[in-house]
Amino acid sequence: MAIVSVRNVSKDYLLGKTVVPALRELTLEVQGGEFLSIAGPSGSGKTTLLNLIGCVDTPTAGSVEVDGQDTSRLSERKLTDLRLHRIGFIFQSFNLVAVLTVAQNVEFPLLLQGGLSSRERGRRVGALLEAVGIEAYARHRPSELSGGQRQRVAVARALVTRPALILADEPTANLDSKTGESVIDLMKEMNRRDGTTFIFSTHDPRVMAHASALVRIEDGRIVAREQGAAA
Amino acid sequence: MRSRIRAASVLLLIAFRNLFASRVRTAIVGGIIGLGAVLVVFGTAVVDSLNAGMARSIQGSLAGHLQLYRKDSPDPLQVYGGMMGSSRLEPIRDFAVVKRVVEAVPNVKAVVPMGIDRAFVSSGNVFDVALEKLRADARERLAALGPAGEVPAELDFRWRARKAHVRRMITLLHEELGEARKLVDVPPAERAERARQWADLERADSEEFWGAFDRDPLTGLEFLENRIAPLQADGGFMFIRYVGTDLAAFQGAFDRMKIVEGRPVPPGQRGILLGKFYAEEYLKLKHARRLDKIREAREHGRLIAKDEELQRWVKENSTQTRDILLQLDPAQAELAADALRRFLPSTEQDLGKLLPIFFRTDDATFDARYRFFYDRLAPLLQLYMFRVGDTITIKAAAKSGYMNAVNVKVYGLVAFEGLEKSNLASIFSIMDLQSFRDLYGWVTPEKEAEIAALKKEAGLSDLDRASAEAELFGGGAPAAPVVTHAGAIPDAPVRHERRARDADLFSRVYTQDEIDRGVVLNAAVLLGDPRRLKETRAALQAAVDRAGLPLTVIDWKEAAGSLGQYMTGLQFALYGSAFILFAIALVIMNNAMVMAMLQRVKEIGTMRAVGAQRRFVLLMSLVESIAIGLAFGVAGALVGAALVLGVRLAGGFPTTNDQLQFLFSGPTLLPRLGGGGFAVALTIVVAVSIASGIYPAILATRITPLEAMQSED
Repeated sequence: MAIVSVRNVSKDYLLGKTVVPALRELTLEVQGGEFLSIAGPSGSGKTTLLNLIGCVDTPTAGSVEVDGQDTSRLSERKLTDLRLHRIGFIFQSFNLVAVLTVAQNVEFPLLLQGGLSSRERGRRVGALLEAVGIEAYARHRPSELSGGQRQRVAVARALVTRPALILADEPTANLDSKTGESVIDLMKEMNRRDGTTFIFSTHDPRVMAHASALVRIEDGRIVAREQGAAA
Repeated sequence: MRSRIRAASVLLLIAFRNLFASRVRTAIVGGIIGLGAVLVVFGTAVVDSLNAGMARSIQGSLAGHLQLYRKDSPDPLQVYGGMMGSSRLEPIRDFAVVKRVVEAVPNVKAVVPMGIDRAFVSSGNVFDVALEKLRADARERLAALGPAGEVPAELDFRWRARKAHVRRMITLLHEELGEARKLVDVPPAERAERARQWADLERADSEEFWGAFDRDPLTGLEFLENRIAPLQADGGFMFIRYVGTDLAAFQGAFDRMKIVEGRPVPPGQRGILLGKFYAEEYLKLKHARRLDKIREAREHGRLIAKDEELQRWVKENSTQTRDILLQLDPAQAELAADALRRFLPSTEQDLGKLLPIFFRTDDATFDARYRFFYDRLAPLLQLYMFRVGDTITIKAAAKSGYMNAVNVKVYGLVAFEGLEKSNLASIFSIMDLQSFRDLYGWVTPEKEAEIAALKKEAGLSDLDRASAEAELFGGGAPAAPVVTHAGAIPDAPVRHERRARDADLFSRVYTQDEIDRGVVLNAAVLLGDPRRLKETRAALQAAVDRAGLPLTVIDWKEAAGSLGQYMTGLQFALYGSAFILFAIALVIMNNAMVMAMLQRVKEIGTMRAVGAQRRFVLLMSLVESIAIGLAFGVAGALVGAALVLGVRLAGGFPTTNDQLQFLFSGPTLLPRLGGGGFAVALTIVVAVSIASGIYPAILATRITPLEAMQSED
């Protein structure tokens, strides 16, 4: 079953008075459990596509379905709820809350959900920190961590709610290649372990090599969809 | 639920961590809030005690808690007078009825009848005074004349001194008018009159006149009284403001009143207690008053060398020495001159030249000269126009249109505690009610009958304007206005008769019933429990309405008139400046919070992306504002409270001038820390910090998750 279904989606941006098309009638289906890489040069529309799938932006035309729900029919509140419960995010520049500790950053989405007891939360956060290999830094502030460590915290935060889908926009762009690869390895491991779907964008061929499937975008259109080397 | 609590604690955690993370901003914003709280707590403590002090002073001096007056009066009642002078009030004809109704109302402790008015008091003419003494000596001398025309030595010595004093005054007048003649161009119509005056003066200042004076002093005196005394211009009338009242009831009800000199008027008798401030300001010899004021100013740190007002007083003292010269007879003048020559020191012979030198003081010489004035010169002078024990003549335009006059004895000087320096309250003199009624001249039916009978007896049909004019010189009780119409200057027998009547008036004791039954203009009501002022006012109004009395009841603040408005204005000014302060604080805080929000756009966008609702972001932002507001607000309020206590321990704010003393209702201001001020301060501070946080919080909710997606570079 497709966890993401993008149909005939166009997205235009207004730059002053000129309309700049970012996506042109793009259609894409992503199956549950995929580890999909979106590749393409800068300005090709990778980020726009991820934003539409991540329910943080709306298409000019066409429809986006995430986890079986048509996002154009949902209110802003509902979209936020969908993000909270079904989607995890990993950002290019990590985006941790500077004033919270590593553990608190990871716990944050669970607190927003408000379903679990304190002990359950603690257990889940502890297990994830261990899984991403930074349990020793649980009480540290993000500023005390290296870039790779921070991105591991971000991965843990994205996974903590056990979402169906994790979106990562250029997760390795701010990391050196070796660290970047280890973060991708971590993501891949999580994908394998829980079956969580990952969609990430990159223009780094070494990162693409880890993907199970690869979608190439140019000028807002999909120019190729291929099975990756890792598949 | 527990998760909700946990979420709330994360909100707090994020808020405090954010505040801690940006310490400089927190310090600035918190500093503003803290300062605001300090000012509000301290300011309300000061204003509260100002208010309470002034309320006490006003209630305890004239106004009481409530005031009653005729509702058909043309003016509203203002006990201290308004811009236009005393209020014009319709008379309450029978106070006894009002008293009965008012005293029956619960919570009424006392009701005090009043008639507040202004009148004139004869300020006397030094010439008249000197001639009066000379005339008394002349009579005594005639009576003591031995068979061979010899006079006892002591009497003769006094006689010669008095004559010399009068002669000296005439010489001074002669010189002055001589100077004036050179300068003034006299209109033709007045020339004959002026020539006659000048001839009179020449005659009075001549050896022939004084040679003949001893042989026939009474003829000589008549000439001086009729022709020379009127040329002396200083005699006249001064304003006096008084409250005619039931003196016993007044003294019992108004705890702020104190007699600073003399004694109370004996119960039931006529009499007046002069306002101490009035006596100092208007009745005291101008030189002494100016010296007092300079001394007081210097005690408050002002210097003659640097202060134009003090320089003006010094100049006035050294140029206007005539008042002192006129008071001294030649023997006293020589004593004064001798003392001055040794004190200054100087070889100058003429007192008229020594005095200007003496009064031209500077900061180095002032204190010594001040002491010298009071030690050596003052005993030779009459410092006050009237003294305790004197009988003074008060005149006022009566209701009937005539000028009424009444003689009252001065029993003492009175002041209102806390308002000693107030020209609104302590300028008032307190007089008995009967004298007020005589001055007010309300013609009761009984009096009408009495007047008709007197007219019949005297064979007069009516009074015309000319004879009404003569009232000015009469000064009798209004019950018998025709008695003193015999001539413009009453002759000896009439004077004698008046003395007899005065003696009767001064010793007569009026019963409470007599005091109560008659005209008053308003009445002060004192309450047992002042906190129930509002309901008692309503009950009182209802009671007088039920009794069919055409009266209106007002509270002390209204009755204080401009003084009450002044207090309201003061409060308004203080709250106004506090408002401006907080408005500025609000703008600065708002700006700081917006800046902080802009710095955290990415973080907030991330929170929104990972699933935080707008409400969460709004709360997070508000919690931060409230936390900073509460923390620094409480701290500031505590500092403010400590400051108040510190000022109290240090003995309060001292007054530095009369205006402040009036404001403070006493020599110092002790700020009082009420729970109200503290609560108000906290409420305002928290309200302001919330208000300053609202706009940035709304801005924060507008941050979209897309912001999180932008890369940093």
